[in-house]
Amino acid sequence: MVLTQKLHEAFKGTVERITGPRTVSAFKEKGVLSVSEFIVAGDNLVSKCPTWSWESGEPSKRKPYLPTEKQYLITRNVPCLRRAASVEEEYEAAGGEVLLDNEDNDGWLATHGKPNDKSAEEENLPSMECLEISKNKDVKSIPSYFGGDDEEDIPDMADYEEPDNIIENDPASLPTYRVVHEPDDDNILRTRTYDVSITYDKYYQTPRVWLTGYDESRMLLQPELVLEDVSQDHARKTVTIEDHPHLPGKHASVHPCRHGAVMKKIIDVLMSRGVEPEVDKYLFLFLKFVASVIPTIEYDYTMDFDLGSSSN
Amino acid sequence: MAEPSKGSLLQFAPFQSTVDEGFWHRLCSLKLDKLGIDDSPIPITGFYAPSSRSEVPNHLTLIAESLPSESSEQSAVPTMTQGNRNRCSVPGILYNTNTIESFRALDKMSLLKAEAKKIWEDIHTGKAVEDSAVLSRFLLISFADLKKWSFHYWFAFPALMLDPPATLVDLRSASQWFSLEEAESVSAACNTWRNSSSTADVPFFLVSVDSNSNATVKHLKDWETCHRDNNKLLFGFYDPYHLPNNPGWPLRNFLAFISARWDLKSVRFFCYRENRGFADMALSLVGEALISVPQGWKDHQSVPNAVGWELSKGRKLSRHISLASSMDPTRLAVSAA
Repeated sequence: MVLTQKLHEAFKGTVERITGPRTVSAFKEKGVLSVSEFIVAGDNLVSKCPTWSWESGEPSKRKPYLPTEKQYLITRNVPCLRRAASVEEEYEAAGGEVLLDNEDNDGWLATHGKPNDKSAEEENLPSMECLEISKNKDVKSIPSYFGGDDEEDIPDMADYEEPDNIIENDPASLPTYRVVHEPDDDNILRTRTYDVSITYDKYYQTPRVWLTGYDESRMLLQPELVLEDVSQDHARKTVTIEDHPHLPGKHASVHPCRHGAVMKKIIDVLMSRGVEPEVDKYLFLFLKFVASVIPTIEYDYTMDFDLGSSSN
Repeated sequence: MAEPSKGSLLQFAPFQSTVDEGFWHRLCSLKLDKLGIDDSPIPITGFYAPSSRSEVPNHLTLIAESLPSESSEQSAVPTMTQGNRNRCSVPGILYNTNTIESFRALDKMSLLKAEAKKIWEDIHTGKAVEDSAVLSRFLLISFADLKKWSFHYWFAFPALMLDPPATLVDLRSASQWFSLEEAESVSAACNTWRNSSSTADVPFFLVSVDSNSNATVKHLKDWETCHRDNNKLLFGFYDPYHLPNNPGWPLRNFLAFISARWDLKSVRFFCYRENRGFADMALSLVGEALISVPQGWKDHQSVPNAVGWELSKGRKLSRHISLASSMDPTRLAVSAA
């Protein structure tokens, strides 16, 4: 982890310890949520999209300012059929929409291929704490946990195949290996699944999204491999690998340093169209924005409500 | 996959397992702080839900809460989250050995038999009527190498075998099998069942559809009263599998239960599936299975044969995961520097 990020985390942790949680609503003014607004928005998400549920997580990691049974939101086993990186390459080659990411266009789309504005890209990087991944432009293929580097001195389990009593010998068992619906006709299995969780970030006063990936044989993915499923613009900037506030281990997370500003812009757009944004819809707007960061992870966030847009 | 034809063998899609990182973390702390070298079996809880996407099956998932809490002195039974629709509990047992040799030496055949016997007994004592969750069970054997943060494990989902196997007369999507009115009413009744905290995690149930196309979902214990009226009666279960040609694994023990308890020769079953958290009749299936009562089935003492060890990538192998990168303090110190 880079030093600047560590410093920032120490600073953030101290601020979180000595300041109380937000209690006054600043949803329309700043795009942020108070703790009670987070609960309201989370309750609404769970009721409209029942694949999401509240969880209480590790008892030792519970936040006192959140109700015990509503510490964070999670949806499990979300399919991710293709890698975002390969989808983007094809899409850009076809001259399709790409993400614009500069001061004025956070998370919005340009519809005519990538702008030739490379010079502006560097200075528009978000602040220091988001930069860890920028050192590694290419997502390298790291072996998954399965069959990791401790394998050599462990007896070869392949000798351990047993003839009897296993599913395979039973005529009424369907051989399911490789039985999934996939969009491609080659034989490479691409379907990963994700557990997507949303926590409340007390420092930034916004929700924060975390990703735990599983490969096609349902083995845990190294967090670095999760970056293949992040829009490549964001993989280098806003998605970092950190400790989950409620779960053990390192997980990939969409860094919340710009969430308030982005949400404020979305809210402003809605208001300029005469739509009065309601705070219980916050997570739907938020997840719609997050979908631009992780476009191939198909979690639920749709509901019937008027975004006030005639062009949608 | 061939279309199921009349009288074909009924094939079930096996359960698949997923283990959350939190499960291994809690197992390590339990082992270090509480269990020591005690390797007696531990009751654990797995969680599953009906299939909710057409692309992937739902899995039996183990998370930290699947294990008994580290702090709870009073009970070794894991605390259940009642009524969470995305977490239907499946009772399980964990045999965690202290060495790789004892892991390999475990008698998998007899361990599976022991779990099958529990299911068989719950069917005959009537426990399964009151608490249908006991019809699905699982078994996990593991070796946790605490020095290397490395875990070898193997799941089994014991299924009682019908002998001869059940045959399939008919299998269609529920939207084709029901009339439009019936399908709407079944959807509504299932959504109500899934939204009520008292029934959301009850995975086996009855669906009764009357002549006015009104559907109701009922508990298994209501069978005695239901089967006498002239309504269409279906045996429903939360199906974790997602593809149209086969029902999922929980139906196996359900059929054994129906056959052993009510002696039915023909069973109309309903594989309940969802799309994004709501009942979906196009993805759900209705089928009819023929069961010939197996030899010795009446003798409660003789437990039927069981199958169910999970395959790893299509092979009869245990799985291995190394969590050194997230658990090894020396590696963590290096990456933090």
